[in-house]
Parts: sequence; C-alpha cells; structure tokens
Amino acid sequence: MTYLDLLDLVQSVIDGVLFGTIYALIGIGFTLIFGVMHKINLSYAAASVGAAYLSLLIVQTAPPALVFVAAALVGGVLGALVYVICFRFLPLNKPLATLMSTVGMLLLIEEAIVHATAGMPQNYPAMFVGSNIDIGPLSLRGDLLFVFALGCAAMVGLTLLLKRTRLGLATRAVSQQATAARLCGMNITTTNLSTFVIAGLLGGTAGAMAGAAIGVLSPLLTLPLTVKGLVVTVIGGLGSIPGAIVAGLLVGGFENLFQFWRGVSERDIYVMLLLFAFLVFRPGGLFAPPAGRD
Amino acid sequence: MLRFTAIFSAVACAMALASTPAQAQSGERTIKIYGFGAKSGVVRIFGIQSEAAMQAAADKINAAGGVTLGDGTKAKLVIDYLDDRCNAEEGLNALRRIAAQPDAIVAIGPTCSNVAEPVFGILQKKVGDSSDSGIQFPIYTDVAAKGGLAGISEWSFRNVPSEAAMYKSVFEWVASTRKDLKTFWGGVEKDFAHSNATFNVMKDNAGKAGLEVLGQSEWLLADTSFSTQVREMKRANADVVAISAHPFTTCGVLKEMQRQGVKPKLLIGLTSSSSMETLQGCAQQAEGIIIPTSFAPVTAEAKAAAEAVAAKKSNMDLHNAAAWENVFTLKKVIEDQKIMGKPETLAADRKKMRDGLAALKQTQGLLGPVDRAADREAIKPYLFVQAKGGAWTVAHKP
Repeated sequence: MTYLDLLDLVQSVIDGVLFGTIYALIGIGFTLIFGVMHKINLSYAAASVGAAYLSLLIVQTAPPALVFVAAALVGGVLGALVYVICFRFLPLNKPLATLMSTVGMLLLIEEAIVHATAGMPQNYPAMFVGSNIDIGPLSLRGDLLFVFALGCAAMVGLTLLLKRTRLGLATRAVSQQATAARLCGMNITTTNLSTFVIAGLLGGTAGAMAGAAIGVLSPLLTLPLTVKGLVVTVIGGLGSIPGAIVAGLLVGGFENLFQFWRGVSERDIYVMLLLFAFLVFRPGGLFAPPAGRD
Repeated sequence: MLRFTAIFSAVACAMALASTPAQAQSGERTIKIYGFGAKSGVVRIFGIQSEAAMQAAADKINAAGGVTLGDGTKAKLVIDYLDDRCNAEEGLNALRRIAAQPDAIVAIGPTCSNVAEPVFGILQKKVGDSSDSGIQFPIYTDVAAKGGLAGISEWSFRNVPSEAAMYKSVFEWVASTRKDLKTFWGGVEKDFAHSNATFNVMKDNAGKAGLEVLGQSEWLLADTSFSTQVREMKRANADVVAISAHPFTTCGVLKEMQRQGVKPKLLIGLTSSSSMETLQGCAQQAEGIIIPTSFAPVTAEAKAAAEAVAAKKSNMDLHNAAAWENVFTLKKVIEDQKIMGKPETLAADRKKMRDGLAALKQTQGLLGPVDRAADREAIKPYLFVQAKGGAWTVAHKP
C-alpha cells in the first residue's frame, strides 16, 4: 500500500464516520422505541425521510436552518401519527401485529412520497457546502461536520431529556417495568406517545441531515436507511442509546473501509458479516442494557 | 333467511353490473393496450413515465376519434399498466396475467432488461411451431435496452435505440473534434444490467477512439456516498470521465466531484440520465455533460408530445418517448391489419398484431422515421444533447 493509498483509506474512514452520524440518529430512534415498548418500528426511517420531504414545503421562503427545524417538528408529528395508527389500538401482546403494521406504514409513506413527487429526487438545502477543513493532506467536509455536530447535539439533548426531566424519568420507568410505572400513576399511553414524538423529532432531524449530506431527497433512501438503522440498533444493543451512537459511527466507518478494501460489490457482504459476528459472539450488542426485573 | 337471500342477491346483482365491460353499458367500444414495467422499486420513475406517455398518446388518439377496428367501428384506446417492480418473476407473472385477459392483444414493456430477457424467453420462439408451447402474445418494448433481446422470440419487438451505435458515434465524434483528449476514466453502477452493459460499450469505444483507459470507479444503484470513488477519479486525473449511471447516483457523483474539485475536460453520461430528473437534481454540476439520446424536444412532434406528457404531470425522455411512439404504431397496425378487438377473435387478433409489427419496414418516430430491422429491433435516429443552463440543448446531430 502506498502513502497515497493510506491517505485515501484514512480519508474514506473519516468520511464514513461523519456520515455514520445519520445512521446513529436513525438507530437511536429504533432503539428508543424498542427500549420503551419492546417493539420494532420499521417505518421509522421512512417517516424520517417523509418529514424531510414535508419540510421542503417551506424551502422556497425559509433559510436551511429553519427547514431543518421544520423537518424535526414534522418528524415529531409523524411519530405521533405512527404511534396512534400502528401501536395504540393494536394488541401489544401480539408482536407480529405491530411489526406488520409498521411494514405497512413504511410502504404507505414510500408510496405517498413517490406519488407526491412522481419519483423525482428533490434538492435539499445544506449548510457549509463547499467549505472544508484541511488537516494536512486530509480534508473534513464542512457540511458533514455540521451534520456530525448537529447529530451530537441531538444526542446530548436526548440524553439530558431522559436523565434530567420528568418525561425522561417516566420513559425510563416504563421501559424498565411498565406495570410498576402504571401503579406509580404514570400514564403509559401518554409516555409511549411522548417517546414516539421524541423519536420522531430525532428522526426528522436525521432525515434532514441525510438530505443535506447527500444533496437530494429520494424515495430510494427509505430502504437503505431502514436496513442501516436496524444494523446499528442490533450492533449497539437493542434499547441502548449510547450503543446506537457508537454503532452508527462504527458502521459508517466500516462501510467505507470495506468499500476501499474490497470494492463496492463486496462492501455490503462485509457489513452484514459484521452484523452476524455480533449476533453470534455478542448478541446483546456493544452496550446491552441491564435486564429489568419481572 | 329469506331476507338474507334477498340482500345477498341484490348485492350480487350490483357487483355483476359493476363488472360489466364499459362498452356494454355505454355502447362505446374500447380496445385495450396493456403495458408493464417498473412502477415501484428503485427505477420506478421509468414505469411511471412510460404509463404517463402511453396515456397521453391514447388521449390524443381518442380526441381525434379513436381507432378504427376491422369491422369499421371506432373504438377508444384504453391503457392498463401493470407493475413488474423491475423483477423477473413479477414480470413473468405480469405477462401471464395480461395474456390471460380476453381483451389483451398486445403489451408495451417492460422497463428493465433483466425482465425482458426471461419474459421474451417464455414466448413462442418461432411463429407456427406447434411443438413450442410458449405464449403466443406480441410484446413491443419501449425501454429495456440490452442489445439483441428481440431476437429471442418472433413475438418480441423493440423500439429502443442501439446504445452500441450511439456510443460508437459519440467516441468517434470525440476523437475527431477533441484531439486534445487522451485519457479515459469510467464510473459505473455495478448492480444494474443497463448501466453495466452500456459501460462496457463506453469503455470499448473509448479504447477504439484512441483514449487510454485508466480505470473505473464503481458504486451501487442506491448508494448515497461517493467520496472514495471520486477520490480514485481525482487521482487518475483523466481527460474524459464517462458516468454510466442513472440520475440519482449520477447527481451524487457529480456533486462529490464538485466538492473534491474534479473537473475533467469532457463528461459523458448514460442515455437514461438525459432527463429532467438529472437537471432537477444537479443542473449546475451536470453543466456540459454530453449524452446521446433518441429523444429531445427539437421537432414540432417531439415538442407537442413532451407537452402532452407534461400535462400528465410527467416528463418525456428517450424511454417514454418510445412508449408514446409505440402507441401510435400499434394504432396503425390495428387499423392496417383490421383487428376486430372482440373476445372471439382474440387469437387471430394477436396473430395479426404480430404479423403487422413484423411487416413494418419503418415507423414514425418523434425525431424522424425509425427503420425496422429484420431482427425486430429498431434503428432510431439520435443526437447528442448537452446540459447547458439548466436545459438539454442539442450538441451534435450525427
């Protein structure tokens, strides 16, 4: 390997880690909902992309920062809708029911996007495009750094919410022992709804950051983000937010590493092998949360 | 019990009436042209646009009075488009479902070459071969462009341009007009048959035109990050970069090239990327890219067709322009062959449709006459378009 090859390798991994922030945000959403409801919401990534699409309604009149905020807020609304439609009135003791309802929601959102846009990609605003920070021969993309910073801020905000607020306390209580939480006077429905709204806010942010990083929004994004989000959730540990963060960055970095090393045709094979390795040797993920008492 | 029976009978009668063909209710005859292609999945835009073009063409024909059937009556054209999701099995299912319909005399499609090949494979190979139990149903392809497919069956016909001929012409033109260009780098969507096959054509013709092929970058159809690939491109610093990819990843790569300051002297693109989708996604980054195409709104007919499709909230490109042309060709065949369009004449109508398509020496295309080859392929006129100022302009007419 020559010096230039080594530089390219390091640069690829750096770019991958920065892009992995988006995977981390999607993974947090999956893991947050699983942690509270012990259910997978397969429509999460699709709703995130949908929120980003809806934020485009104000793109003609608003600066990019406001578009991102709009995406987050719309994501919260979509999160609440998903809870009401796919979880609230379905029997939660039948895991297949909620799983299939979220699959249906994923397909519905995807088709809605396709029909609304005739399948055409839509340009998405970004900030700090064209600005790079050069560290010697390496370069950090300004827009990806912004995505990384915003993602980190969202994760810090979520951690503070969960650790320092009554809502966070209720969310953690319900995730650990829903029956006991109900006996303590916590409203499970309100708590679950709030969790979906919080996850939706994060998801909308993730969708906006994905659009900003890629430059366009396309219905093609929903499935890859769903798959990557699930991979990140499993590797990080179902129910572990720090796990999802670390796993997201790891998956982003490893993805580019595998691509550099083995080419694009084998890249996804190695990412899946990484997932299988975790499932076999560390099924709880990087940061498996402690099991609750029954 | 009696009340239940009465209600059930009333509902059954209502359902029977609702399913009665339109012509029996209104007295108006209709003749159906089926279509099938990718209306969902990664390349859904092609199927959606094909259906829009077919519908727009049918509306224009119907506004002018419709199609004259074999018994002299006028019939309205009806379009029915099925989704094959660019998946071979679904394409086979779609064809079988269409062929089982009592009003199906022809189908336009499919979108994807990986569907067209197996679909043509289940048709009867040679007309009149009683030992061949293949489906006897004519298919007239608008989009699937992999070379030589129509030769699979005498029931398959195509109205697609020869990408081999177009790119041969592009690189010959480059060699004759841009003698300063010496090196070539390619970019290709590895997991799509069309991009892959056309890239081999590009690379081959680049070599024959005297360009040194330095290498290639690869990505997948749904990829979103291209930093590694563009860095390879940057290191090669080739004069000519050819991107054999569809609009989504073409725009992704072009944006990454802009970020990394990669500016080749000449950019060449894939035929499918000569569309509004590319200009909407990355007009600035695509500035100057040259693409050969069999459609551009440069004739009166082409402009009118593009406007009619735009009224259906879609855009016209070389792919769905072929679907438009196909509908008009089929109208001509229906009238010339005196197709009756009745359930009792179904087999005969399908045979007449096939024979009519086979007998065509020339059809009318939007850019000019389209010659029909003996192997049921099309020899379409084409030109080179260039992205300039957010629009496709004609760079060269070979």
